[in-house]
Amino acid sequence: MQEKYDVAIVGAGPAGISAACVLADNGINAVVFERGEFPGAKNISGGVLYGHDLARIIPDFSQKNCPIERNIVESRIWYLSRDGGYSVSYRDKAFESQRRYNVFTVGRAKFDRWFADQASQKGALVVCGTVVTDLLRDENGRVTGVRTDRPDGDLNAKVVLLADGINSPLAAKTGFRQEPSPSHVALAVKEVIDLPEEVIDQRFNISSGNGVTIEILGSITSGMNGVAVIYTNRKSLSLCIGANLADFATKKIKPYEMLEIFKTHPMAAPLIKGGKPAEYMAHWLAEAGFENIPKLYGNGYLIAGDSGMLFNTLHREGSNMAMVSGAFAAQTIIDAIRKNDFSRSSLKNYESRLQNSFIFDDLKKYRRFNPFLAHHPEIFTSLPEAMGFAAREMLTVDGTPKKKKQKKIWKNLRKNHSLSALLRLMWDGYRSV
Amino acid sequence: MHIICCLKQVPDTAQVKIDPETNTLVRAGIESILNPFDLVAIEQAVRIKENHGGTITVITMGPPQASSILRQAISLGVDDVVLLSDRAFAGADTLATSYTLAMAIIKLGNNIPVDLVLCGKQAIDGDTAQTGPGIATRLKYTQLTYVSSIQWIDPENRKIQVERKVDGGVETVLGDLPALLTVELELAKPRRASLPSLIASLKAPVPIWDAKAIEAVETLVGIKGSPTWVRKISSPAPRQGGPKFRAGTDPDKAVAQCLEVLFSDSTFFSNFKLTGGRNSDVEKF
Amino acid sequence: MSKNSKGIEVAEIISDKCIACQICIGECPVGAIELSDEGVAHVDPEVCVGCGKCFEVCPVEAVLFEKKKRKKISKSQRGAHALKGVSYEGVAVFIEVANGSAAPVSFELIGKAKELALKRKCRVIGFVLGNNVEKIADDAVFYGCDDVHMVSHPEMGTYLSRPYGKILANLCKEVCPEIFLIGATHLGRDLAGVVATRLGAGLTADCTGLDIEEETGLLLMTRPTFGGNIMATIFCEHRRPQMSTVRPRVMKLPAKDLFRKGNIFRHEFTPIEDPLAQVVGFISDVKTSGEKDITEYPALVTAGKGACDISAFPMLQELAELLGGTLACTRPVVESGLMPYERQVGQTGKTVAPKLYVAVGVSGAIQHFVAIQGAEKIVAINSDENAPIFQVADVGIVGDYQKIIPALIKQLKEKM
Repeated sequence: MQEKYDVAIVGAGPAGISAACVLADNGINAVVFERGEFPGAKNISGGVLYGHDLARIIPDFSQKNCPIERNIVESRIWYLSRDGGYSVSYRDKAFESQRRYNVFTVGRAKFDRWFADQASQKGALVVCGTVVTDLLRDENGRVTGVRTDRPDGDLNAKVVLLADGINSPLAAKTGFRQEPSPSHVALAVKEVIDLPEEVIDQRFNISSGNGVTIEILGSITSGMNGVAVIYTNRKSLSLCIGANLADFATKKIKPYEMLEIFKTHPMAAPLIKGGKPAEYMAHWLAEAGFENIPKLYGNGYLIAGDSGMLFNTLHREGSNMAMVSGAFAAQTIIDAIRKNDFSRSSLKNYESRLQNSFIFDDLKKYRRFNPFLAHHPEIFTSLPEAMGFAAREMLTVDGTPKKKKQKKIWKNLRKNHSLSALLRLMWDGYRSV
Repeated sequence: MHIICCLKQVPDTAQVKIDPETNTLVRAGIESILNPFDLVAIEQAVRIKENHGGTITVITMGPPQASSILRQAISLGVDDVVLLSDRAFAGADTLATSYTLAMAIIKLGNNIPVDLVLCGKQAIDGDTAQTGPGIATRLKYTQLTYVSSIQWIDPENRKIQVERKVDGGVETVLGDLPALLTVELELAKPRRASLPSLIASLKAPVPIWDAKAIEAVETLVGIKGSPTWVRKISSPAPRQGGPKFRAGTDPDKAVAQCLEVLFSDSTFFSNFKLTGGRNSDVEKF
Repeated sequence: MSKNSKGIEVAEIISDKCIACQICIGECPVGAIELSDEGVAHVDPEVCVGCGKCFEVCPVEAVLFEKKKRKKISKSQRGAHALKGVSYEGVAVFIEVANGSAAPVSFELIGKAKELALKRKCRVIGFVLGNNVEKIADDAVFYGCDDVHMVSHPEMGTYLSRPYGKILANLCKEVCPEIFLIGATHLGRDLAGVVATRLGAGLTADCTGLDIEEETGLLLMTRPTFGGNIMATIFCEHRRPQMSTVRPRVMKLPAKDLFRKGNIFRHEFTPIEDPLAQVVGFISDVKTSGEKDITEYPALVTAGKGACDISAFPMLQELAELLGGTLACTRPVVESGLMPYERQVGQTGKTVAPKLYVAVGVSGAIQHFVAIQGAEKIVAINSDENAPIFQVADVGIVGDYQKIIPALIKQLKEKM
């Protein structure tokens, strides 16, 4: 027996569920397949969401018990050397309004479950514990449904939306997307550290319910092209550090070693002091950037979220882009159902929606950022040390005249960096952001 | 045949821990699952139905969330489900639970007489194995616990013959229907739900019965009907660990050190004799 | 109103008014009321203490009782100990008889009962049911019972839930023990649920610790719960007896004193009209596989997940034989189909208490530990030096068992 549905969605993450919500709102029957025992079971994302993007799907999310950890009122950026670092932070009263939820942290295990419940309430079917093993196609190669690992497991659908994440075996198997090369994938490790709520409030100088995000660059990634973050959750901190998979391979550094170094850094250590490690996990992230986005549509199918490599390297906005791309995919499907045309040309609309949105704009804008980081390894190696040296020299009071110190700093910087290289770094950096 | 299965939603016990500082149960993030023994009961009920026809009703007592295990039962092929949910049921020990379930079974029997009640032999959170016998006693059904195999069922002559595990062996028992069986894991290997029935289970309604619906007496359900109370919980008392030796490249040395420690306890040594491998009754692998 | 043989004015139920709501059954503090075969409540006058609780709660006025009397008693009824009127006294143990001999756990429980009785300053009572069980009743006295109540009859030769449950419940009503302990064998667990339900008593399963709370005199029952991750202490304030089952080999077997004296009371056997079931066959584990139960060996060599390799079993087997023991395993090994369930040690398998327990590749999760804590010596062999088993082992070796076991065998042989 084969069931017939309008839409089959693979993956109950932010992309898949966003699409399911939009489809259900428009009375279209959609089935979401989730391999985990419940949505979020396999998800370990850092967990920062944007209220603007979520409100497009669930307008009154803050009144619907959305499991928000903390409302982010302050963003910090750290540039770290081995023993010290620069910190820039910005906090604004405008972010404090509890109802606004401009940016907030969530635990993805809880959030994904809540999000899927919203979709179920709207009428979408979320089928958990079921792995989609293949796609069904007709004689012309058009996708006509999904095959699952259950008995009688075929399900026909007018259109299939693939939203099953970065290491989707399905996308690779079906050839929609090339297996990402190591340089297009980042490996990130995350540790959740439990701390009492008041301790977090104190250490980050925030009032209850508010939070801080810290994004970190520098030699903290042991010279590899990578980034680290610290997010505040209600009763825990998420520490995440990741780097390009290709760099891990060449440097032979183990991810958890990098995390341990991060945890003992003088900027990070006081924040996590006394905390209890609660979870540790590793995860892949798409790092490809605009140049490597695969074809996101075809006869009878669409691709959204991480499986479409839609990820903003700099801002770590994967979940948000996933939600927006899921919603666009759903709108494209709604149009296609009205026209009763599920061909490639009918679904092409998805791409133009993406192109006219901030997703492609931002991906395009930052298309040079990844190559920039890749071409300037000094950002992760000698530069932070030189800058650390500079600050330490200037701030150390030892009777040396400032002018002499400046000379010393400049000499130290030039020791590892030629003048032309420095100029090039500045120029490339300016052009990439 | 009218078969009733009694289910329990339990925390996945492998994940439960106690916070050593606050001495409280850490249940955050722990998944609730269908008691694995009850899953076998469902599977067995479905197999009996496949052979003898009839209808399967599944009941559970618990909060509204427990409806998820009833849906799971639907996906596996049962016909009807009932969730027994009422604030008054809260805090029930096995005495109150067996009363509540028995009252629900009486009500279900008013429509179609009950032939069989299947329960898991015990729940993995409490491991008491008391609710099944409690229900059978209250309903005056034949009580067959630890059933590892059903040999045959004769619905016309109202008989059932099963094999049940007893201490030191397996016993064959012939009993009258209606009977209550508590089942062992090896009775039946649960099937995987098919996709159509899994989807159907997501759409199925879950009727809820409260204390009034099963005509239960207030003082016999929930905490009021429970003679036993939990006074405190704690971590299991630690046993002191002894020395450990690293085998590394010289296992002989580590073994020698280990044996030295072991046989330094003279009382142990005098009570313990090496046989040199002369006991013949050990099965050969 | 009628009086019973103790002179207590007891309650009566008007059959044609009773709607079998069972409220009175739940409320009766002494379990004197049962639903009769006609489906109405029936008060056992010899058990009834004349408290009048049933009169108070009956929604249809089907209980005959003198009101004045009730009020007077019910005032003194508040609190845990005033609930009786009849005194519940003594620590009772069910002496389980299997295949003509007593289950060792029953005698272990007598040892514990003696301890509890000392604190409660009361007697140790044994209940023996079966056929030709006079010798076992004597043994119960030798192990520490002061009084043994016995029902010995050919029809009691084979255990069946319903007759045993009914007879034992009736014995309890007659003897009124304050505490009642049953071994948590298959039979004991099957029976305890029946008796507790019939008595409306509180029952706590698989206790690993029993003690008396000094201030209240209540039995504190400690048991592992949530798969052994948590120990819960449970008490039962308002119902009697306080019932508890205890797994074999958790309590220590007391010394047998052949000169000890006690009273043996023989009770009449009243046939059960409707037993509902009959045993038609029995296959002994021993007969099928020619082996003793793993719990009976003085030494066990247990293969865990880290030694779940059939090619390693002959080596482990040799070690076990050398030690006079046998092979056991943990759940993953059973699940992989390499050893039968009968050999599984753990929360879902068997509780063991050998003199020597050698855990090979066993991580030692709490579910496993609760089942081996009675072992005299635990030796752990594991490649993971952080494995929890080392925290409970008397001695441990960190390393590859494939290299360690042969060395161990060699050195043990040298020792002989």
